[in-house]
Amino acid sequence: MPVQVRNWFVGALGVAALALLPLGIRGEYSLTILCTLFLYVTTSQSWNILGGYAGQVNVGQAAFFGIGALTTRLLWLNGMPFPLAIVAGGFSSVLLAVIVGFPALRLRGHYFAIGTLALAWIGHITIGNLLPGISFLTGRYVATYSLVLRYYVFLVIMIAALVTIYLVVNSRIGLGMEATRDDEDAAQTAGVNIVKYKVIAFTISSFFVGLAGGGFAFFYASYYWYLPFGLMWCFEPILITFIGGVGTFIGPIIGAVCYVALKEIFALTLGEINILIFGIVFILTILFFPRGIIGLPAALRHLKSQKVSGGAGESIGPR
Amino acid sequence: MLELSGLDIYHGDLQALWGVSLTVRDREITTLIGSNGAGKSTTLMAITGLLRPSKGSILFDGTRIDKLAAHKIVELGISMVPEGRRLFPEMSVRQNLEIGAFIGKARRAKYETMDWIYEIFPILKARAEQQASTLSGGEQQMLAIGRALMSQPKLLLVDELSLGLAPVVVEKISDVLKEINKSRGIGIFLVEQNVQMALELADIGYIIENGRIVGQGEAEALLESEEVKEAYLGIA
Amino acid sequence: MELAQFLTYGVINGAIYALVAIGLALIMGIMGIFNIAQGSLAMVAAYASFFLFQYLGIDPFLSLVLTMPAMFFLGLLLHEGLFSWMRNFSAGQKLRNSLLVAFGLVLILENLATVLWTANERCVTTAYSGAVLATAGLRIPYIGLSAVGLSILVIFGLHFFVKRTLFGQSIWAISQDHQCAHLMGINVRRTTLIAFGLGVALSATAGAVISLYTVSPAVGLDWTNKALILVVLAGVGSIQGIFFSGLLLGLVEVMSVYFVGVHYTGVAGLVIFILVLMFRPQGLFGKQVGV
Repeated sequence: MPVQVRNWFVGALGVAALALLPLGIRGEYSLTILCTLFLYVTTSQSWNILGGYAGQVNVGQAAFFGIGALTTRLLWLNGMPFPLAIVAGGFSSVLLAVIVGFPALRLRGHYFAIGTLALAWIGHITIGNLLPGISFLTGRYVATYSLVLRYYVFLVIMIAALVTIYLVVNSRIGLGMEATRDDEDAAQTAGVNIVKYKVIAFTISSFFVGLAGGGFAFFYASYYWYLPFGLMWCFEPILITFIGGVGTFIGPIIGAVCYVALKEIFALTLGEINILIFGIVFILTILFFPRGIIGLPAALRHLKSQKVSGGAGESIGPR
Repeated sequence: MLELSGLDIYHGDLQALWGVSLTVRDREITTLIGSNGAGKSTTLMAITGLLRPSKGSILFDGTRIDKLAAHKIVELGISMVPEGRRLFPEMSVRQNLEIGAFIGKARRAKYETMDWIYEIFPILKARAEQQASTLSGGEQQMLAIGRALMSQPKLLLVDELSLGLAPVVVEKISDVLKEINKSRGIGIFLVEQNVQMALELADIGYIIENGRIVGQGEAEALLESEEVKEAYLGIA
Repeated sequence: MELAQFLTYGVINGAIYALVAIGLALIMGIMGIFNIAQGSLAMVAAYASFFLFQYLGIDPFLSLVLTMPAMFFLGLLLHEGLFSWMRNFSAGQKLRNSLLVAFGLVLILENLATVLWTANERCVTTAYSGAVLATAGLRIPYIGLSAVGLSILVIFGLHFFVKRTLFGQSIWAISQDHQCAHLMGINVRRTTLIAFGLGVALSATAGAVISLYTVSPAVGLDWTNKALILVVLAGVGSIQGIFFSGLLLGLVEVMSVYFVGVHYTGVAGLVIFILVLMFRPQGLFGKQVGV
C-alpha cells in the first residue's frame, strides 16, 4: 500500500535525522528538551494504544511509569548494566499490569478510569511513605554521565515504541482493538474477543511506559523517589494525545511537540503564576479541540445533525 | 394529526432517511413496515425529538415539533415505547409506571391512569413491586407500553413491538393496543418488521425501504397486494 | 481500650471521606462527568468556612447555610461553562474530556488559592474544638461527633431525596438510561445542571468539616483520592454504600496504623481497593457492572 510505504519512508528519514542530530547539536539545553520530547511521545503513544485505540481510558499511567523508574533505578544503582535495568523496568510495569491492570479491565466505562487513577494515587502515597527521600547518583555514575548517551537511549525507546505500535494498530489486532473501543457488545456478538484485545493493548502500553520510566531513572542525576509516581505523569500523556488527536497514530507526536514547546515558553516567561495560566490553557485546549487538532474539520461537520443521540456513529442505546 | 414532510436525517455522516413523508391520522392505527435497517427507528427518533432532521418538517396538530426539545414533545402528547423495551432496570414495575407520569398533567391523574394500566395488564399489578429487570420479555413489553401510556398521550409510538417475543404474546399485546385505540381514541403509530401482524392491526400502512417510502395505502389492501406478499410475506 | 479509641477515630475519618465522596458519586453517577476537582472544590468551600469564621465569627456548621448555596451557584456556573457542551458525547468521550477539564480546574483552583491565600495551613478553632465527650471509656471529640452526624444526615438525606421526591426520581432515571429519561418528559438538560450544582453544594459540607481540621491549597487532591476510592468501593448507583464504604476505609486505615504503623495507611487503602477490584468489581454495594 502506497500510504504505508510512504509512512515508513518518512519515518526512516525522521529516524536518520534524529540519529545524526547530536553530531551537529550538542548543547545541553537542546538535547535535554529533545529527550523530554521523546519521553513524552513514548508515554503518550503508549497511552494512546490503550486509551485511543482500545478505548480503555487509563488515568493511572503514573503507577506504571513510576514502577518502571523504581525498578530500573534500584537495579542500575546496584550494578546491573543500564540496558538490562531499563528493560527490567519495562517488565516490572507489565507485571503491575498483570496483577492489577487486567482485573481492572473488567470494569466498564468510568470505573476503569477511576480505578486506575486511584491506583496511581495510592502508589504515589505508598512510595512517598516508604521512600520519602531523594535518590542520588553516586561517584562513578556521575563521572561517566553522558547526555548524548541518554539522548540515544530515549530515541531508541521512542522508536521501538512507535514501530511496535504502528505495526500493531495497522494489523488485525488493531482492528480488534478499535472494534472493542467502538462498541463492546457489538464486537462480542461479531465474535471479537474483547478481553484479548484489551489485554494486548494494556501489555504493550505498560511495557513501553515502563521502559520510559526506566529512561527517566537513567536520565536524572537526582530526584525524589516518588516523583515518577506523580499525578502529572497520568495527565500529561492524555492531554498530549488529546491535543494531537486521540486514536490517531500521529496525534501523540504532534501533541508532544506542541506541548513541550508551550510548556517551555510558559516556564520561561511567566514565573510564579505559570501553572495557573497553564491550567487555563489546558482547559481552553480541551474546550476548543475536543477531538484534537486532527479532528477539527470532522468535528465541526458532526455538530450539525446531532441533537441528543450522542457522538459520531454511536448506536442508540443507554449511556 | 402527525405530518412528516420531506424528512432527510443523518446519523453522523450517513444519511438514513431521504425525503420521508407520511401522515398519521387522528384516532387511527398507522404502521410503518420495512426490513431491518430500513430507517424505521430513525423516523421515530426524529418524531420524539431525539434526532433532528437536516431537512423537512414534522407537524403535530399544526405545531412544528422537529426543532423542539424531546421533553416538550412529550408534553404535547406524543409518547414512545422504545425498541427493546428500555425499562429503567433498577426501578420496580410501579416506579417505572410512576416515572412515566412525570409531566405535569399526567402527574395529577397518576393513580387513575395506573389503575387503568393494571386493568388492561393485570400481570403488572401482580408484579408491581418487582424489579423491572426481572420480568419476562412479554411482561417487560407490557410495562413499557403501560409506562408510555402514563403520560396520557394522544399519539402512542411503538418501536418494534414483536422483537424477541413469542407470537402468542405478540397477539395478546396487539389486541390490547387495538382496544385502547378504540376505547380511548389514542392514535397509534407502529413501526414493525413483522408485516403480517402490523397490517392486521393497522388501518393505514406505509412501506419504507432503504430510507425511502416506497408504498402506502389501507392496511387491508396492502396485505392483499402482490408486491407486499412477495417481498415481505414470502408468498410467491 | 486503645483499639476502641482508634476505631472511633476510624469511624470519624470515614464519615468525613464519605462527605467528600457523596458529591462526586452524584456527579459521576448521573452525568458521567469525572470530576476530580471535587476535593479542590471542597477546599475552596473550606476556605470560605474559615474566612466566614475569622471575619464574622460564624461556626462552620452554621455557615453551611451560606456556603452551600454559594457552592451550588458556583456549580451551576462551572457546569454551564465547562461541562455542558459535553452533554451529548458518548460515554468514553465525556469521560476523557471531563477528566481533563476537571484536572485543569484543579490546577487553577490550587494555584489561585496559593496566590490568594498563601500555602499556609489554616484551621478553624471554635470553643468546642478541643473538647471531647468522655463516655464508655472513650474520648470522642465533639468535632468528630458532629462530622459523623452531618455525614449521616447528608447521605441518608440524599438517599431519601432520590427515592422519594419527583426530582430525585428523575435524577435516578437519568442515571439509568438518559435517553429514555427524555422520553418520560424529563427536562434532562435542566435536571443534570441542577444535579451538578447539588453535587458541588455537597462538597461544601465536606469543606465545613475540613476547615475544622486543616485547610491548605494542596489538600484537594488528597481528598479527591479518598473520594474516588469510596466511589469504587461503594459501586454503581449506591448512595448509602458511600457511607458504609467510608466507614470501611476509615476503619481499615486506623487498624493498619494500630497493627502495623503509620507509614502504611496508604497501603491499607491500596489493599482493599485491589481486593474489591479483583473480586467484586461492581463494588460492595452496587449492582452489576455495565448496567
